[in-house]
Amino acid sequence: MESNPLAQNSDDPSSVLAGADQARKRLAAGLRLPTGLHPVLAAAVTVQVGTAAYGVANHAAPGLVVALAGVAVFLGVAALALYQFRRINGVRVDGLASQIILGSGATATIAYVGAFGAATWAAFESHWWLVAAAAVAGGVGYAFGALRWWHAYRLDPAAHAGGASPRVLAALAALACLGLVALMVAG
Amino acid sequence: MAELDPLIHAPARLQVVTTLSAVSEAEFATLRAVLEVSDSVLSKHISALAAAGYVRSRKGVRAGRRTTWIGLTSTGREALREHVAALRRLIDMVD
Repeated sequence: MESNPLAQNSDDPSSVLAGADQARKRLAAGLRLPTGLHPVLAAAVTVQVGTAAYGVANHAAPGLVVALAGVAVFLGVAALALYQFRRINGVRVDGLASQIILGSGATATIAYVGAFGAATWAAFESHWWLVAAAAVAGGVGYAFGALRWWHAYRLDPAAHAGGASPRVLAALAALACLGLVALMVAG
Repeated sequence: MAELDPLIHAPARLQVVTTLSAVSEAEFATLRAVLEVSDSVLSKHISALAAAGYVRSRKGVRAGRRTTWIGLTSTGREALREHVAALRRLIDMVD
């Protein structure tokens, strides 16, 4: 049985295009983010920035362990969020994965880099309240960037669906861990 | 100049590739629900599109069930882009 409500006149290009566009919008409009994604993402980034700043400033082995634990928390939260998104919706959107794991939007990138720089400087100066404040600001900014991307995706899904594949993201995550270790060893 | 693509000219098939352009991969059942077509109808469209290299499919598991995941290939995205451009030109000519 086929009961497509969008059956169109195939000779009318406007009707054909409108029907296809409506189907795409119906899919995008039905997608749901996992409950509490943005607060959880903000908290995970806060932990990651704070622990990384502590690790870079503390050149000993405990610093490395703390920093890598922060990365593990962040990657665990991100992987769980993406798994839940796929399970809830029955789709995979690489653009969302890039936003959550890489913070690939301008807002998230600026928030993360700014927060990491400020938190690292504060950690070297032992201003721990400032480390915490910068980490929280970075987490909130990062989550806000993901929220902005989500709104943009809902408006134009085809333009925002693309992103790094799961394999590329896994490779970049491994590279980020190695980079963090190198930064700490060099520091 | 882009031309109409006979493989995705049928409205139902254009809906399949246009809907897939919103995601990287969609589960067969999700796609079927959005397009409101039967399993057999969607299977036929997917088979034809896969044979042309416009979509790829793979077996997976979701919530303990075996499922099929379908995604648009870069060839399929390009074909969609050109077909939509050709349709828009037709609309402009009529207008």
